[in-house]
Amino acid sequence: MKPFANSNARDLQNAVQLAQNARQDGRTASFVGGGSDLLALVKERIAAPDVLVNLKTIKGLDQVKPANEGVSIGGLITLDILSRHDLIRRQYTVLAEAAETVATPQIRNVGTLAGNVCQRPWCWYFRNGFPCYKNGGNTCFSFGGENQFHAIFGGGPSYIVHPSDTAVALVALDAKFRIVGPSGERVIPAADFFALPQQNPARENVLAADEALAEVQVPAPRAGTRSTYHKIMDREAWTHAVVSAAMMLEMDKQVCRSARVVLGGVAPIPWRLPQVEQMLAGQRITDTLAAKAAEAALEGAKPLAKNAYKVPLTKGVVRRTLLELAARG
Amino acid sequence: MRQQQNTSIAPLKTVGHATPRIDAIERVTGKATYTNDIRLPGMLYARILRSPHPHARIRRIDVSKALALPGVKTILTHENCQVVWGAGGISGGLQYNDDIKKITKHRRYVFNNPVRFVGDPVAAVAAVNRHVADEALGLIQVDYEVLSFILEPEEALKPDAVKIWPEGNLSLNAQNQAQPMSTRRGNIEEGFRTSDLVFEDRYTTAFVHNAQMEPRSCVANWDGDKLTLYTPTQGISNCRSDTARDLGIPPEKVQIICQYMGGGFGNKNQNQDADLITAMLAKEAGAPVKLEFTRKDDFIGVHGRWPTVQYYKVGVSRDGVLKGIQLRGYSGMGGYRKNTGTIGGIDIYQCPHIDSVVYPVYTNKTVSGNFRGPEYPQGFYGIESMMDDVAYKLKMDPVEFILKNMTRKSRDEVPYTNYSLEECIRRGAETFEWKKRWRPQPGSDPGPVKRGAGVAFMAFRSALGRSNAVIRLDAKGHYTVFVGVTDVGAGAKTTMAMIAAEALGVPVSKIEVVWGDTDRCPYSVGESGSRTTIQTGYAVVQAAEALKRQIAEKGLPTGDNVLIGSASPNPTLEGKVRAAFGAHFVEVQVDTELGHVRVLKYLAVHDSGRIMNPLTARSQIKGGATMGIGMALHENLLYDRRNGQPLTAGFYGARLMTHRDAPEIEVIFIESDDGYGPYGAKSIGESSKVPAVAAVANAVFNAIGRRMKDLPITRDKILGALA
Amino acid sequence: MAKLKSKKKISRRKFLQGTGAALAVATAAPGVGAQNTATDAIPRTAIRVTVNGTQRRIEVEDRWTLVELLRDHFGLTGTKIGCDRGECGACTVLLDGKPIYSCSNLAVWADGRSVQTVEGLTQNGRLDALQQSFIEHDGPQCGFCTSGQLMSAKGLLIRNPRPTADEIRAGMTGNLCRCSNYNHYVEAVLAAAKGGSR
Repeated sequence: MKPFANSNARDLQNAVQLAQNARQDGRTASFVGGGSDLLALVKERIAAPDVLVNLKTIKGLDQVKPANEGVSIGGLITLDILSRHDLIRRQYTVLAEAAETVATPQIRNVGTLAGNVCQRPWCWYFRNGFPCYKNGGNTCFSFGGENQFHAIFGGGPSYIVHPSDTAVALVALDAKFRIVGPSGERVIPAADFFALPQQNPARENVLAADEALAEVQVPAPRAGTRSTYHKIMDREAWTHAVVSAAMMLEMDKQVCRSARVVLGGVAPIPWRLPQVEQMLAGQRITDTLAAKAAEAALEGAKPLAKNAYKVPLTKGVVRRTLLELAARG
Repeated sequence: MRQQQNTSIAPLKTVGHATPRIDAIERVTGKATYTNDIRLPGMLYARILRSPHPHARIRRIDVSKALALPGVKTILTHENCQVVWGAGGISGGLQYNDDIKKITKHRRYVFNNPVRFVGDPVAAVAAVNRHVADEALGLIQVDYEVLSFILEPEEALKPDAVKIWPEGNLSLNAQNQAQPMSTRRGNIEEGFRTSDLVFEDRYTTAFVHNAQMEPRSCVANWDGDKLTLYTPTQGISNCRSDTARDLGIPPEKVQIICQYMGGGFGNKNQNQDADLITAMLAKEAGAPVKLEFTRKDDFIGVHGRWPTVQYYKVGVSRDGVLKGIQLRGYSGMGGYRKNTGTIGGIDIYQCPHIDSVVYPVYTNKTVSGNFRGPEYPQGFYGIESMMDDVAYKLKMDPVEFILKNMTRKSRDEVPYTNYSLEECIRRGAETFEWKKRWRPQPGSDPGPVKRGAGVAFMAFRSALGRSNAVIRLDAKGHYTVFVGVTDVGAGAKTTMAMIAAEALGVPVSKIEVVWGDTDRCPYSVGESGSRTTIQTGYAVVQAAEALKRQIAEKGLPTGDNVLIGSASPNPTLEGKVRAAFGAHFVEVQVDTELGHVRVLKYLAVHDSGRIMNPLTARSQIKGGATMGIGMALHENLLYDRRNGQPLTAGFYGARLMTHRDAPEIEVIFIESDDGYGPYGAKSIGESSKVPAVAAVANAVFNAIGRRMKDLPITRDKILGALA
Repeated sequence: MAKLKSKKKISRRKFLQGTGAALAVATAAPGVGAQNTATDAIPRTAIRVTVNGTQRRIEVEDRWTLVELLRDHFGLTGTKIGCDRGECGACTVLLDGKPIYSCSNLAVWADGRSVQTVEGLTQNGRLDALQQSFIEHDGPQCGFCTSGQLMSAKGLLIRNPRPTADEIRAGMTGNLCRCSNYNHYVEAVLAAAKGGSR
């Protein structure tokens, strides 16, 4: 690897300061949580930071705390702890299940929630160092190339799919993200955090220079709410979602009061399906409705040359996940 | 040679009993020394710069900036290092011996110009540590003239295709002739004329990488004119002779040491370009050098299994008897022909008329070579899918079809030393409950989640051959067995100790094995072709007999005296053919809505002669079968057709089977002793992968009613076929 | 001797005098970016880390991975590097009792923490129950993934002393075995857990 300096941050302000100091010296800085992904990118010469601002030394940012009747989750919580956390498993099941599907135990033991949400794409063109949008170029090689795993929604000019499982769950949970940066703090809805390539094809989110995702705030679920995450993988472990679905249903006996349905693996951002959510609200979840919802979910899908299979696959995932979740006690 | 034939086997004292590996403690404590664990004083670290282009001429290489980097010691390129890597690409896939050396037109150097695939070595750097070596790679400036390239073997044979070698893209044979490999028996036209039905189809298989866990590395040290190479090799003897030949030094000036190695499955046999490069760097730098490959280096720079295109035409009578089999095949060899590129499988059928023509073709992909049963898993997938389909179209149970048409004599003429194929299939079908699991109407299960069963069988060569062994007995009653084996993972050391113990009538604990060092061990064939147990094991039996004769003659040694027994047998089969046999039965569940395949049940029935060590033999069968499932369902070194770049070079991209993917593999051994080999041992290691791919593919067909004709059978293809 | 330097000897002097040629970027091939930083001072940090129960102090380069520290500087070569990218598990060690990929963590991040490697499994010359069970069930074939498999299994049993076969597969799924001896590894861990391995 190229040489770089590791700077341990005392707290968030200090972290931002360390990054800014580096930049003022003409050096580049990266925040690092678990670090697995960043080190891989440095080894492949895709990222070349001069300073790694180590956030793991910040105390207390790895906790689940009650807040505003919901919970606030520190960005540095490991995916492993998150996936086993009692309260999260019970009330925010979709998030625990999503965290549990990430990579491998070894990665979940160090990988953080914030790091997972901010993870760079796993498009093989990007990871192999092609001069694509994500690597500072001005083309997307997947278009007209090998795009089996690329976007069927929201693509263009880049067609990556967002790699994070927890991001999909957090959008389903209507979470808010607390972001810390040089100009202080801001809190934005999870859905506004992720950015389509039309906005900026080089990035996947709205984080500005030296900004970090510090905390996730999740509202309390309403009574009768249940949620789940269903991930389709190319082998049984250590792949990103070919397609995934995060669903939250507020049920009143057999009737669905309200629903949140978000897809992963199909778009450059977690892909929410408002038309499906509206279709489900106030309805009994029957086989017929589930099939209709699955059809509606794929409205407007624009498959590329080699990923048309994602259309029937996603329909199947939506239909099944919906029926299974509705049937859960 | 013992005369016992085809009997149910009598138990032995040591051989045949489950025995933990004699080096197991080293393997579970981290004490086993693999090549990269070697560290020599003053050692430099080396890295290789590889071509980023699939086909390009190097106009100029400027290494000045890299050399100016503090800590960089030596840089080699094609300009200052012209060493032919004889085992790397040779006419007809044959040995680079003196005759070939004189005539061949297609020499592969360790650094080539032009470069012929993404990953072809361009330069090597030795520096004080790996970080400096790695940085130096980025400072080497190469001016490439980029050339057109070609990825697919069929396209490479079109008249307007770019020529990867001046003589064209059909690889030359040992006589420098551009000719395909042909096998003919009977008259194929006659075969089709006498057939009631003739079927044709096309199957393709992907480039899959050996992907052994240990990435290649090498440590070279020169002491005067003596070269010591620590290198992971499956054959220390051929690695030494190859290296001596390539470097132009006498074999006795080369010492190859391989104490432990992390798998190879065929891509660590003989010597490697890495060995030559490391030796040259060390010579030039005047210091020991350790070369390390990254995992990507290993995926693109070391060979994998050749991809194939297979066109079959099969003629059959209405009652399901084969009349003629025709194959026209294309094998993608990459930029150099490192192996034959044949497509195996037809021979396992009894058929009067055979016509097979296979074209080994140059492409600008990573080079192809040996990988566990080099030409078979891909060939068996093609032919056994084809035959499964013929059976289906004849409305026959595939087990019945196999029993009717499988080989009974090698190539319908030469008798096998023993024959158990029918027993493998019948016993397997019964144990597996074939009739219950196989669906007479494929894809007929109601609902989106469907089950089906598949079967495939195999016969795999178990030839004899020359090898050597030396056994020394000291006055304390310790026996030391000197054999030139390494241990790729199959457990050769333990097998040799068990065979010696059996032959000498002593417990295994009395036996010490010295292995993996050409200065201490006699010639062995190397762990390739599943023949170490047969060949070197037989030499151990003979050496033990020699030692026993000496003991009988001279009495046990006393004081400082030792007795030494040695043997260099080269047994023959007296006109017969020797083969291991087996059949695999697989049940899968396919979720037709999600395109997901899960293996529910897997049974492997094998006749590998007498099993020397049931404990390690089972590991071999389970491993080969599991790898076969991965090849059937996941693995593929995918290239972008527009720019010739590999996209999935790595463990993540190659989608290797994980703990969660691997099903329980049930193993049944049908043991036999045909009187050859040590106590009747036949081959195991490669054979377990050979039928696995076809069995899985046939099971998928039985579940969904769609024939999957292109490997790997991934979700997109399943959903595409069902759409 | 082979033809090293036989025709065009390239001396360092000649290289340095060369005019240099421009890097031709003709197609979309991914390149190797040039970096010339070795002349800069390489950042280093003094750390304290407990390895297999012994506290050690060492100054590390900030860029060293934990596996580099263990193998190259502490001589603990039982931990292997299979991919160096967190994709295979050969480098698995326990960090404060939990399995991690030592190739994907920096040595400097282990400051103040406790690392256990395969060399630390054997206590007073006695094999851990897992090691014994791996031997009896023929877990290792080539053995290159074995240290990592052991450490993952150890981490699993620390948290879940009586795992089911499926829990073992889930817990060890970050450890590839290309010899594909997965069945035997799972059997070995089941047996060790039954025997009360801790």
